[in-house]
Amino acid sequence: MSAGVPAGCAHSICMVSDFFYPNMGGVESHVYQLSQCLIERGHKVLVVTHAYGQRKGVRYLTNGLKVYYLPLKVMYNQSTATTLFHSLPLLRYIFVREKVTIVHAHSSFSAMAHDALFHAKTMGLRTVFTDHSLFGFADVSSVLTNKLLTVSLCDTNHIICVSYTSKENTVLRAALDPRIVSVIPNAVDPTDFTPDLSRRNDATITIVVASRLVYRKGIDLLSGIIPELCQKYPELHFLVGGEGPKRIILEEVRERYQLHDRVRLLGALEHQDVRNVLVQGHIFLNTSLTEAFCMAIVEAASCGLQVVSTRVGGIPEVLPEDLIILCEPSVKSLCDGLEKAIAQLRAGTLPSPETVHNKVKMFYTWRNIAERTEKVYDRVADEVVLPMDERLNRLMSHCGPVTGYIFALFAVLNFLFLAFLRWMTPDSVIDVAIDATGPKSTWTKQNFFGKKRKR
Amino acid sequence: MEPVAGRRWQKVLYERQPFPDNYVDQRFLEELQKNVHARQYRYQAVVFQSGVVAQQLCSVCVFVVTWWYMDAGMLSPQRLFVAALVSSLLGYVLFDAVDGGAGRWESGRTRWADLKSTLVFTAFTYGFSPVLKTLTESISTDTIYAMSALMLLGHLIFFDYGANAAIVSSTLSLNMAIFASVCLASRLPRSLHAFVMVTFAMQIFALWPMLQKKLKALTPRCYVGVTVLFALAALAGLATISTVGAVLFTSLLLAICGLCPYCLIRLQLLKDNIHGPWDEAEIKEDLSRFLM
Repeated sequence: MSAGVPAGCAHSICMVSDFFYPNMGGVESHVYQLSQCLIERGHKVLVVTHAYGQRKGVRYLTNGLKVYYLPLKVMYNQSTATTLFHSLPLLRYIFVREKVTIVHAHSSFSAMAHDALFHAKTMGLRTVFTDHSLFGFADVSSVLTNKLLTVSLCDTNHIICVSYTSKENTVLRAALDPRIVSVIPNAVDPTDFTPDLSRRNDATITIVVASRLVYRKGIDLLSGIIPELCQKYPELHFLVGGEGPKRIILEEVRERYQLHDRVRLLGALEHQDVRNVLVQGHIFLNTSLTEAFCMAIVEAASCGLQVVSTRVGGIPEVLPEDLIILCEPSVKSLCDGLEKAIAQLRAGTLPSPETVHNKVKMFYTWRNIAERTEKVYDRVADEVVLPMDERLNRLMSHCGPVTGYIFALFAVLNFLFLAFLRWMTPDSVIDVAIDATGPKSTWTKQNFFGKKRKR
Repeated sequence: MEPVAGRRWQKVLYERQPFPDNYVDQRFLEELQKNVHARQYRYQAVVFQSGVVAQQLCSVCVFVVTWWYMDAGMLSPQRLFVAALVSSLLGYVLFDAVDGGAGRWESGRTRWADLKSTLVFTAFTYGFSPVLKTLTESISTDTIYAMSALMLLGHLIFFDYGANAAIVSSTLSLNMAIFASVCLASRLPRSLHAFVMVTFAMQIFALWPMLQKKLKALTPRCYVGVTVLFALAALAGLATISTVGAVLFTSLLLAICGLCPYCLIRLQLLKDNIHGPWDEAEIKEDLSRFLM
């Protein structure tokens, strides 16, 4: 079970992100799966996020993964508001109670993640940050967010990106030394995504699309592809899973070309339903305009579908050339790619879903990801956390004359606030929580039910 | 782990490579591009384009000067109306003559339709001029001046100078100018004045820019000449009212047509825009055809 980690090397890791279950998405499942695999490897892991409606307080998930749902106000898109200070008392309590040694923050969209990094550095804890998304450089909003990212990452111990393109992007955005940035991809659970030939109808050709229906996912392109190909191939069907503001244009296209029986819009999909939708198709189409890693194409390939995708962001790195047809982000190029896939399907030259699945399941596994992440933790544990004076120097020299000084001042204020909190409630007064994580810990099924029976 | 000799690093994630995860290859950032869309401007071209801004400033100046003369009683509404009518007719003929009637043929608009809308508009403005005159009469003169100044400034800000920006709105711009004219008209002595003022505003803020646009596209030389003449006329008019104003206005025009283009070209050299595979792809096609 605990795969041979020497006792001294076990870390106490705190994952912080605004995005966690019950919210669904790439970051959420990444945090959950990674935590589970790290627990399996003998580390202590806890997750800190904000309260989702009635889901607040402390919850335990599988294998005693402890989740703190903090009472912080959500501002926009499930991200909390930030003042850089208000979360310090709560987070300090958690870090002290749980004897956290490494704070691992996720997603650059999450204000709580940046807050936690800021506080952790003030408290002298090691910090790791995982960036899940790509940003441009041209518009005003990205200029501002990139500046904040520079501030947040300039004294972070190590950064993890999900693809090489994402690494280049993050290094440029935050002006980092590329050697402190590791590339560790996302993974999918291959047992969740297995092919099932009995579910698909081979009399027709079904193209599956599964993504949120938003502009960034290229749904406008899809609205051009559907009529173009449906006119050419009478046996072609489209199966679209997902919900979003662009649904209306797909409905308009369906109406305009009378394709009600051939284009099915399934609406929002639960994570467990995705596989059942995928196995009904022959070809998977991804029309994203920007993507750091793209889990969807790996899931589809794992179900044995032929993947056709736009060549954007990190997508070319994800699958080998014989499993994916890459196209330019235009209707014409994507139609050409799909026609190629259809021709191969008709000729029977596509590899069987089973062989594709067996190939893909070797590529990305959470165990491997956890192993590689653990190496980052080991490396970080050996590093020193910058003392206050060096941290201020780094901020002022690294983040520009205006921003640098402002945030150096914030860092000082944060330090004083922490000193005040320590004076109010000294660390020694704070109870230490019992370690419930891991299959052999107090919070296992046997112990739990055993105690219950004794009563 | 040290890189194994003879094995090249690949930019792929699906293969386990004998390199550490934080390995930085020589190919790192090789797809980085700089200033892909940056354009090199020529000074003359920029000065030519800045003419639109100068023209619009002059239009506002001419409008205010005209109002001033009317307010002071030095210009009778009849004379202004005749002058405006003559120049409008001239402009109307020129508008068709410049492109040999191609634009008219394309839009399929008849002269009868033009005449009809002109008549309807004039009749309505004339009929409502007593209302327009009294509409803002109860508001104090200072407020009127402040409001007009603000509206004319807004007109200049939102005017369609040809830039593709979110702030551009020719409807809003025209409406602001007309509102300013209604405000100012209420300070004039009679309702005939108000009628002439509002029609004049229409001519100078709605019709004149249309003609200018066409001139600029088809006969650039003629356009430059017209712009210079117009600017001189505006300056002369302003000089009769206030010398200081004329001097300031001249320096403003010079700054816009001379200094600003120069600054733009100098600053363009400092442009440092980075592009790479992480950029969000742009949809270049027109996808609306699928929905038509």
